[in-house]
Amino acid sequence: MTLEHPIPAPGTDPQWFKRAVFYEVLVRSFKDSNGDGVGDLRGLIDKLDYLAWLGVDCLWLPPFYPSPLRDGGYDVSDFKGVLPEFGTLEDFTMFVRRAHDQGMRVVVDFVMNHTSDQHPWFQASRMDPDGPYGDFYVWADDDTGYPDARIIFVDTETSNWTFDPVRRQYFWHRFFSHQPDLNFENPAVREAIMDALRFWLDLGIDGFRLDAVPYLYEAEGTNCENLPETHGFLKSIRKMVDDEYPDTVLLCEANQWPADVVEYFGDYSVGGDECHMAFHFPVMPRIFMAVRRESRYPISEIMAQTPQIPANCQWGIFLRNHDELTLEMVTDEERDYMWAEYAKDPRMKANIGIRRRLSPLLENDTNQIELFTALLLSLPGSPVLYYGDEIGMGDNIWLGDRDGVRTPMQWTPDRNAGFSTSDPGRLTLPVVMDAVHGYQVKNVEAQLQNSSSLLHWTQRMIQIRKANPAFSLGDFTDLGGSNPSVISYVRVFGDDIVLCVNNLSRFPQPVELDLRRFEGMQPVELLGGVRFPPIGELPYLLTLAPHGFYWFRLGEALS
Amino acid sequence: MTPENRLESAVALLPGWLPHQRWFAGKDRPVDDLRVLAATSLGADDPAIWHLLVEVSQGSNTDLYQVPLSVHPHPDGRLEHVLLGRIETGYVYDALHDKAAMADVLERFARQDAVGSLRFITEPGASLPLGEASLVLTGEQSNTSLAYGDVALLKVFRRIQPGLNPDVEIHDALTRAGCTNIAPLLGWLEGRWEDRHGGRQEASLAMLQSFLTTATDGWSLASASVRDLFAEGDLHADEVGGDFAGEAARLGEATAQVHSRLAQVLPVGTMNPDHLTDLAEAMRARLKAAVVTVPELTQHAPALESAFDELAELDADVPTQRIHGDFHLGQVLRTVVGWKLVDFEGEPEKTLAERTALDSPIRDVAGMLRSFDYAAWHLLVADHPGDDQITYRASEWADRNRSAFCDGYARAAGRDPRDDAVLLRAYETDKAVYEAVYEARNRPAWLPIPLAAAERLAGAAR
Repeated sequence: MTLEHPIPAPGTDPQWFKRAVFYEVLVRSFKDSNGDGVGDLRGLIDKLDYLAWLGVDCLWLPPFYPSPLRDGGYDVSDFKGVLPEFGTLEDFTMFVRRAHDQGMRVVVDFVMNHTSDQHPWFQASRMDPDGPYGDFYVWADDDTGYPDARIIFVDTETSNWTFDPVRRQYFWHRFFSHQPDLNFENPAVREAIMDALRFWLDLGIDGFRLDAVPYLYEAEGTNCENLPETHGFLKSIRKMVDDEYPDTVLLCEANQWPADVVEYFGDYSVGGDECHMAFHFPVMPRIFMAVRRESRYPISEIMAQTPQIPANCQWGIFLRNHDELTLEMVTDEERDYMWAEYAKDPRMKANIGIRRRLSPLLENDTNQIELFTALLLSLPGSPVLYYGDEIGMGDNIWLGDRDGVRTPMQWTPDRNAGFSTSDPGRLTLPVVMDAVHGYQVKNVEAQLQNSSSLLHWTQRMIQIRKANPAFSLGDFTDLGGSNPSVISYVRVFGDDIVLCVNNLSRFPQPVELDLRRFEGMQPVELLGGVRFPPIGELPYLLTLAPHGFYWFRLGEALS
Repeated sequence: MTPENRLESAVALLPGWLPHQRWFAGKDRPVDDLRVLAATSLGADDPAIWHLLVEVSQGSNTDLYQVPLSVHPHPDGRLEHVLLGRIETGYVYDALHDKAAMADVLERFARQDAVGSLRFITEPGASLPLGEASLVLTGEQSNTSLAYGDVALLKVFRRIQPGLNPDVEIHDALTRAGCTNIAPLLGWLEGRWEDRHGGRQEASLAMLQSFLTTATDGWSLASASVRDLFAEGDLHADEVGGDFAGEAARLGEATAQVHSRLAQVLPVGTMNPDHLTDLAEAMRARLKAAVVTVPELTQHAPALESAFDELAELDADVPTQRIHGDFHLGQVLRTVVGWKLVDFEGEPEKTLAERTALDSPIRDVAGMLRSFDYAAWHLLVADHPGDDQITYRASEWADRNRSAFCDGYARAAGRDPRDDAVLLRAYETDKAVYEAVYEARNRPAWLPIPLAAAERLAGAAR
């Protein structure tokens, strides 16, 4: 296994996802190949070179299925098609093949909790209660069932039940009222979902990001989240992919506390028999919290509360994604504070979160962006980058819902940021044009030409991560240390030992670390290869610049 | 040469070595007499280990010290900094720095050994850090502490007072009660000896407890918060990133939980109005003496004294219990699983009887409230003397965190310490008076901190 090239040919490493760097790319906003103002699969194919250069191992595509697009495509109206604006099934197949040729894998979003109300299944269900689809959704004569289930989209929804004037019954929905929940009690629904999954696996994809999995089943007297039946169905999906499509990864989206999320990995004793990966949601808001507080405890605490996961599993961690920065995993008091700090304008808030990109959240401060990225690439879990954050792209809070963080990728300083040749008025979303984050200032072309750019820096950091398997596979030990504003930890994988020291404060900080267990070894700084003094018995003193960090590999001391 | 001869020549090195140790109390006076009251051999050779209890007389004063020594036949470079000297059989070192000697001590804990004058006791079910290398921690004043890896901490008392050490006693009681807001006790060392009058004596000599990894003391955390506030131009304490109020409230909760557990597992009592009158009288006397040392207190003295008058007139039975006794931000550690209280020894200058006396938990609360004041002001007097804007902000930080601490305490205790206003003000005033004397004598630059508190407390008088 050569670790400099962590993604071996498909079929040779079933645990590739534990070392992969993921990249979330919105087809709609990445690259438009035909000048209609909307990004498409052929545009994405054109940019695979760039993504391979950056060091991306796996692309994650949010929904690209036919959809009325009332929830960014998460309202699917056909599980086996491609949204015509994005291209055809043939385009998709070519995209998967070209990505594989470049050594990259492809994971697609799959929404199984619900469909769009435009899905033929729902239309059939509301028209003909006794027909083959009559029982595909959760129908009831009144809206009193499952009262303990919380409402997730508190900004727009007042109930989890909505009355359908056609069928004259209420249907159940955990998200928007135009997204009815499928009825997983019905074996025909389960079979239809399995069938759709096999459809995409047959086209060669490498896995699914399973959207909103905690809510598949409902039961009276519960909050309708994380029910045993839900886990049972996920286990049957896992068995199917293991038997029929080995090398496939299931990445679960369950916005829950880590102690609850680990349930989605399945049986610990057999190394996990449910999802291979799950997002570690609380890490992200706590990184923001820790830097604002200049205290390591928000991060240290959540790492201490994170249980061991089965041997064949991995966390997925991220700083930002297409959704808002969710604040469900911080205390109420901290949430109020985060809102006050990071969402100074009410438009920046969405549901229980903040809709901003990384760079504007950090006021375009290079030191902080680099510190956050260094944390993302060194904390336990496979990092998931969000398109555009590698060049420090901005957002547009004047756009509705979460569109503000889904604007076109900024490729060049030319018209439409090089995203599309269409009339600017026809663009799917306007490009960001402000003086700080606008495409004239921030674009791939300029940053490729400037070797000290954030883009080059990010590419270099990803390379370093790949050269040291401890970052992806190593144990994590919080070192504590004399200074509460500095978080220090070691990652150990065999003889690969990496020491990470991060200054969360905006002031320079000293820190003394107890490194006795590594006595006699010598830290080598990973960006520059500089050898630091050998580790002795006494506390190891380091000084850090504001928001500075070190990555060291610990090796034998030179005599 | 008999072991006793060897010991004698090693003991002969002590008068030249003891007075230079940080933990030696009588550095300013000559040593008149030095005698070994107990000597226990913990190993015959390479290294030979001797555990000594040594009585030192200086004028009318005698103190008992614990001195473990190790004797190596050959010089050991790593111990050079703790070399006492050379005798015929080898080189004599302070054994607490000697990894071989300290590994032996750990094994004796594992065996629950009883040897010579020593008894090694462990808590039921304690897991001992066998195989972990020891390292003496720096920065300790009156004791010597060493860490076994990052697993356990051995605190070796240097100046020995007869009796069960309150730190051991309270940790033992709280560990057995399953209290989660402390570092659990793993074991302790007991010693017995005959004093020079032939009386049998007994004392705690050392305690072994779990090491709190990744911990930071409250003082460092609070200082980081204050520093953050001072670096902002015009934000209020509740608006800056480094706001500490959440931590202060959680600290209040932890404190209340420890207090309530102490009241459950150790003796409780009450102070009746007569006791309160006596307590007020003692406080008045301290104020009177303080005014002589710190004339700046004079203008506030009548108002401060009114706090003690109110206490004397308080017609109530005040519940008492064992308390921490020397409670401040330096005695609490933030770990990834919340706040822990450490060091239940009480104020080191006091007698054992004073340190184990029952008292109101409000006294600990007052101690912590004063500590918040110190945290807010110490950077001010050091870095920004006379800056009105920052002075205002320091007060704001202190007020915010003092009240957050009380909120948290009230939440966990079911009773707000501020409801015991008379008691709280009296304890706080007494503490500020003590601080004024201490700072005037030891750190005049910090005197403005207790003086400002005195002014504030005086202003609160009716």
